[in-house]
Amino acid sequence: MSASGRILREIRANRRPLRLLGASGQLGYGVPTPAFNAGLARKPDMIGCDMGSIDIGPTYLGKGEMATSPESTRRDLRKVLLGARSLDIPLIIGSAGSAGAAAHLDATLAIVRDIARSDKLTFRMAIIRADTDREMLIEAIRAGKVTGLDDMPDLTEQDVRDAANIVGQMGTGPFRAALEADVDVIIAGRACDTGIFAALPTALGFPTGLSVHMAKIVECASLCCVPGGRDSILAILDDDGFVLESMNPDRRATPISVAAHSLYEQSDPFTVHEPDGALDLTNAQYVAVDDRRARVSGAAWHDSTDPTIKLEGATKIGERAILLCGSADPRFIAQSKELLPKVAIVVRDLVCEEAPEDYTLRFRVYGVDGVRMIVPPGEAMPGEVFIMAECIAPTRERASEVVRTCKQFLLHYGYPGRLSTAGNIAFPFTPPEISVGPAYRFTVYHLLHVDDVDALFPVEVETL
Amino acid sequence: MKLSEIAQVVRSKNAGPRRLTFDIMFGSDEDYRRVAQSPGLSAETIGGLYGVPASEVAIFPYPVGRAIKVVLARKIMAGDPGDFDVYGAQQHAPLLGIEL
Repeated sequence: MSASGRILREIRANRRPLRLLGASGQLGYGVPTPAFNAGLARKPDMIGCDMGSIDIGPTYLGKGEMATSPESTRRDLRKVLLGARSLDIPLIIGSAGSAGAAAHLDATLAIVRDIARSDKLTFRMAIIRADTDREMLIEAIRAGKVTGLDDMPDLTEQDVRDAANIVGQMGTGPFRAALEADVDVIIAGRACDTGIFAALPTALGFPTGLSVHMAKIVECASLCCVPGGRDSILAILDDDGFVLESMNPDRRATPISVAAHSLYEQSDPFTVHEPDGALDLTNAQYVAVDDRRARVSGAAWHDSTDPTIKLEGATKIGERAILLCGSADPRFIAQSKELLPKVAIVVRDLVCEEAPEDYTLRFRVYGVDGVRMIVPPGEAMPGEVFIMAECIAPTRERASEVVRTCKQFLLHYGYPGRLSTAGNIAFPFTPPEISVGPAYRFTVYHLLHVDDVDALFPVEVETL
Repeated sequence: MKLSEIAQVVRSKNAGPRRLTFDIMFGSDEDYRRVAQSPGLSAETIGGLYGVPASEVAIFPYPVGRAIKVVLARKIMAGDPGDFDVYGAQQHAPLLGIEL
């Protein structure tokens, strides 16, 4: 029997509190070994790791690339895999490979298979894909079953055809199905981070509200502690609540720090929407067990009458090239707002002599207005600025042509009152132009209204 | 007194690619109450700082976490051309100087 079958059978026969180890909120960026090993010493019933997020932007999803380096990803995967196999407990990984589309999942699976081979591990692995079927989605748009999230414009059939990748965030159900398939390891594509940790307790009949609340906290490892950090965290769940304890003795889970974590990356601190219902934290209570452990209770769960899957998709919009430079000239800096658009016109007149204006060219002046939404009027000008010019064009060559032309004419642009006639900008190195690669944007951020939220995420099992 | 002189945490982050969320946290219930009751931290003030109408600023008092949450729509979706803060983690600065 494999790990999930063993744990389910053992706890169904002899019910006791469940012990869940949150190993990492961002697998691939490093799992601190001392806290992870301390977690293993506490004999958890499962290890979970979240591996992705939409926060990293559209390019990883669109391009099918991981945000983490292959070396650190392999190191982290090997650490959690060896840990889970040493205790014969399930290892559950969600949002594989940063964005959870087929390319990310397959790259993650390739690393897992390679580790199994080189470390001579044998196990049963469930694979849950999260890619959204295009034809099904187009049918759903026609049937009025797709709605925009947070004022996102309506999804069109063209958006669906143009997207490089479209994924749905699976909920807890597909993970539960995988656990019931008697496996040792579950690797899922794009998933709600709660699914990773709520599947085992809900499969065992622990209250859904508590299970999902616990899952929402431990998926970020020790971020809910003071000081917050990436060390592994242990949750011990019973039928009335759960106790949180960081596996780094210097991190304390206090009632306030854990309660405050419910704010993180959420637009509403009291409600968390999941595919098949909503977590209601209105009556959640947080009490200290001792100075570094908090007990949490009171979360409620409301089944949804309108189950939905959150869809994410990214579309290629061109090739990106950038120019990096700085200026320390007070007259240039003072006039930069007016001067840079004029440089853009000079560039356009040159690069569009024999070609259409098929690109965008933007400047960000760091030190002035590179970061903020709004700059207060009358703010003093800095002594030096960093300037980034960014071009998005149909081809890599075109984008490169635009930023190289921009560099030369920004360097030598004549403006009223100019004193430094040998050059307007400084380069820390040359070439100062960089081809960044394809650029993407999110074109799908919608809810798919669907009766069976789990049917979209089939579970395959592979024996290694 | 300025918000930065009383708050323990003032942070911004995306809540999905189309919303920006600000968490303001305090070290004591007294500090929390003082700010939560202050007219300085209003939808009008915050809307003015970010160039959005007050009706589009949502403020959630969260006493159990000694915190106040503010949510705004992003003007540019995360990662779209022209975005300047994909994670939204550096949009908190205008709040620091709010007079309470």
